[in-house]
Amino acid sequence: MADLNSPFIKSDGTKCTCMEMLQQMLDTEVTEEQREYFKKHIDHCLPCYKSYDLEMTIKELLKSKCCGNDVPAEVIDQIKSQINQKISF
Amino acid sequence: MEETPHQQYSEKEKQDVFNHEFMPHIRSMYNFGYRLTLDQDDAKDLVQDTYLKAYRFIESFQRGTNAKAWLFRILKNSFINDYRKKSKEPSKVDYQEVETYYNSEDVDRQITPDLRVESLKDMIGDEISNALNSLDVDFKTVIILSDLEGFKYEEMAKILDIPIGTVRSRLHRARNLLKEKLSEYAKTMGYNKA
Repeated sequence: MADLNSPFIKSDGTKCTCMEMLQQMLDTEVTEEQREYFKKHIDHCLPCYKSYDLEMTIKELLKSKCCGNDVPAEVIDQIKSQINQKISF
Repeated sequence: MEETPHQQYSEKEKQDVFNHEFMPHIRSMYNFGYRLTLDQDDAKDLVQDTYLKAYRFIESFQRGTNAKAWLFRILKNSFINDYRKKSKEPSKVDYQEVETYYNSEDVDRQITPDLRVESLKDMIGDEISNALNSLDVDFKTVIILSDLEGFKYEEMAKILDIPIGTVRSRLHRARNLLKEKLSEYAKTMGYNKA
């Protein structure tokens, strides 16, 4: 559980749980202060460290394997030619 | 997206906006279209439709604002209106279930204790891609927008027309579903250490 100095605070004023901090980190919805705090936090919270490591590995896998398709050249050509047709009318 | 007053663009300005603010995102758009349709031809059509719509409604776009989010929103709407209807299994997420899940005390539970970093690193084939593709389209979409495209909650809320709280809970659920799927793959690879 986060300590009293945690900058992860919910809208009701209470501190975020480990899982909530982790999710904010994964969703990159953190301030620099929160990022620094979390980095220190995982040095002494093994469950957080393991979960963060796992989730970041998944993120990296996603990035390396799931967005590498180049746009077929004909798509760009067709878009440009249709736009040009519109302009010339 | 924001209700912006209609802009008045000359033909040259329209061309500038189109070429310099819209076209640089075409690769991301194509990849998004492909993940949604899982078909290269459908992805091509979807991207083409999106860009033609973007041109037609270019005066609703304010120069210098978030073109990528604006384009993603058009593509997502085109997909829902034109493609999802004809898909074999129109997908439906039980949002009540999602909200109940997120708000329950059980939210901190570790869903896939047997999924390990080492087994993920051995997934050098299509496992991650297949796992992502297998998710319900609404869950797949939030993973793509957040993890692949780096959109923030607020941008995703506008692209998807849902409240920020729903973005957050859907993303949380999506990550867990993806882990469950990866865990299944890990087991078939002989990493059944649970």
